[in-house]
Amino acid sequence: MATIKEKPSISTFADHEVITPQNKLRKAVSAEPLAPGDDPVARAEQALAELSSEFSSWMDSECERLDVARQGVAKSGFTKSTKEALFHAAHDIKGEAATFGYPAVAAVADSLCRLIEHTPDATRIPFKLVDQHVDAVRAIIREYSRSDAEELSAMLTKRLREVTDEFLVHENRGRPEYLENILGPSLAPDQIA
Amino acid sequence: MVRIDFNRLRFLVIDDNAHMRRILRTLLHGFGAREVYEAEDGAAGLESFTHYIPDIIITDWAMPIFDGLELTQMVRQPGANANPYVAVIMLTGHSEKKRVVAARDAGVTEFLAKPISAKGLYQRIVNVVANPRPFIKTKSYFGPDRRRNTNQNYVGTERRKGGKADVIRQASLLDKVRAAN
Repeated sequence: MATIKEKPSISTFADHEVITPQNKLRKAVSAEPLAPGDDPVARAEQALAELSSEFSSWMDSECERLDVARQGVAKSGFTKSTKEALFHAAHDIKGEAATFGYPAVAAVADSLCRLIEHTPDATRIPFKLVDQHVDAVRAIIREYSRSDAEELSAMLTKRLREVTDEFLVHENRGRPEYLENILGPSLAPDQIA
Repeated sequence: MVRIDFNRLRFLVIDDNAHMRRILRTLLHGFGAREVYEAEDGAAGLESFTHYIPDIIITDWAMPIFDGLELTQMVRQPGANANPYVAVIMLTGHSEKKRVVAARDAGVTEFLAKPISAKGLYQRIVNVVANPRPFIKTKSYFGPDRRRNTNQNYVGTERRKGGKADVIRQASLLDKVRAAN
C-alpha cells in the first residue's frame, strides 16, 4: 500500500526558514535500554582488535605509497599531481598511524602535511626536508619494536617540526595573520562538537 | 543509555583509502549494522547516495574527483535529490579550526577527527539519530542548525532576522524517549 510522504514542517522568518524534516532515523531508536553487559562500543573495539593482525602490513603499504610519492617529486619536482600524491599519502598516515598501532608516526606525517599545505610556492620546498620527513616515517616504523623508539621518534619529530616551522615562518613572512593561524594549536578532538 | 538498533540503519562510507573503509565497516558491523555500502571517491559516493538512499553518510574530506566538502554541498540541495536532510558525518585528519568551520558551513552534521575511535564514532551516530537538529535555509546556507546551544547572554549582531521566534526550542528525541520510559 502506498504511503503518503510526510512533508517537513517549515517556519518562515524574514530572511530564513526553519525546517523540521520527518525524522527517518526515529525507527532506529529503541525504547528498551541496552541489556546489562551489552556494550556496542566494546563489541566494535573487539572487532577492530580481531582485524589488528593486518595493521602492520597496512602500515607498510602506506609507507611504500609515501615513498613512491616522494620519488615522484624527486623525478618531476612539485607539480599539481606530485604535490597532491605526497600530501595525500602523508595525510592518510597521519590519520591512520595511531589506529594501526604506530601513534608516534602521526606527528612526523603531520609535519610533512604542514610543510606541503602551508608553503605558498611548493617549488621552494627544499627536497632534502621532504626526504628527511619520509625517511623519518620509514625509520620510526622499522624500529618501532625498540624499547627507546618512543623517545627517539619524539626527538626526531621535534627537530623536524622546528625546521619546518622555521621554513614556514620565512615563506609566509608577508602574511602575519596566516602565520598566526598555522602556528597555533589544532583543535583537540574533544573540542570538536 | 538510549539503545540504537543499528540493523535498522543504512550507512554509506565514502573514503578513497581502502584500509579506512575496512576499519569503518568493521566498527559499524561491531555496533550491529548490517547495511554498509562503500564508495571510493566523491563521484562514486554521490552515485551511491542516489542509488542506496542511506540514512547516514560517513565521508572523508580529502578525496579525488571531488572531496567530502563538495560532496556535502551537492547532497545539501533542497529538492534536487531523494534526501537533502541526510546525516553527514565527516571523518578527517584535518582538525584545524578553519576546517571545522568550513565543514559546518557546508552542511556537515557531525565532525570527527582522526584517529578514529569506536567511542567517538558511536557518539556521533547516537547524536545524529537521537538528537536531530532542525534545518536552516537562508540565501547562502542550507543545512543543520549551526546553533547547538542558545546563549541567553549573547551580545552582538544577530545574523538571522525575525525576532525571538527564530530560536525554536525542540525536545530531542533522546529526551522524548527518556520521558516515555
